[in-house]
Amino acid sequence: MSEQVHPDEAARALDQIRDRQEQVINVSVVPAWYWWLVGGLIVALAAAVESREPVTIGVGVTVFVLGILGGTGWVVRGAVRVQPRNELLGGRGVTMILGFVALVLGITLAVAFSLAAAGVSYPATLANLLGAILLIVGGPMLTRTLRRVMLNNRAGASR
Amino acid sequence: MTRPRFDELIHAPTRLAIVSLLAASEVADFKFIRDSVGLSDSALSKQLSTLEEAGYVQIRKGFVGKRPRTSAKLTTVGRAAFEQHVAALQEIVSRSGASVLPP
Repeated sequence: MSEQVHPDEAARALDQIRDRQEQVINVSVVPAWYWWLVGGLIVALAAAVESREPVTIGVGVTVFVLGILGGTGWVVRGAVRVQPRNELLGGRGVTMILGFVALVLGITLAVAFSLAAAGVSYPATLANLLGAILLIVGGPMLTRTLRRVMLNNRAGASR
Repeated sequence: MTRPRFDELIHAPTRLAIVSLLAASEVADFKFIRDSVGLSDSALSKQLSTLEEAGYVQIRKGFVGKRPRTSAKLTTVGRAAFEQHVAALQEIVSRSGASVLPP
């Protein structure tokens, strides 16, 4: 049968395979607004805690928890419909995610402790502001890179 | 290295679309497959049954809350057949001298 398949038909079939797999990968892509949401919420939480006002802290924690749950729930709703294969992300993708989290946490904590040691007011809020900028700038870059990694790992992507 | 083997069952356009979606998924919801491929419920059920009979697909029926939910996943046999089919297609294209790499 394979002898009867014209190369053009085989090439079209490979294109279709790649396109269909891209559909699955696109479901798992984190939208840019999510990074803005997380960045805004961590700054708001830090500011609320550093205000030392019980009511403000209560409101801040509530907004943070509801915001994270709602936003994350919206983003992962695609996983209910389809769950991309773990192999698409691979070890490289997982390392990138862990590295990004470690980088943002490391820089934010280092800046917070440095500002606190220097006696600057609202050190956690200022440090989280920097963390939020890192998320807003680096998050979409990470998302694009992970999407590229998954596209390269799909079937038919290479010889 | 995957041994090329052309699979007529998978190569049919509709089944190729379904298997390609499943090959990139751990598990996929019936509605996701239906909407992605653009089939009616009955047409998709028929194609999934064909693939299930060949041992390529495992169909799961369950409930999310009180709502019934059907999902499908590629079996190990189905995944191997798909990878061999992809290798066969790549071989056909490369034999003709064209590139099999995406643009």
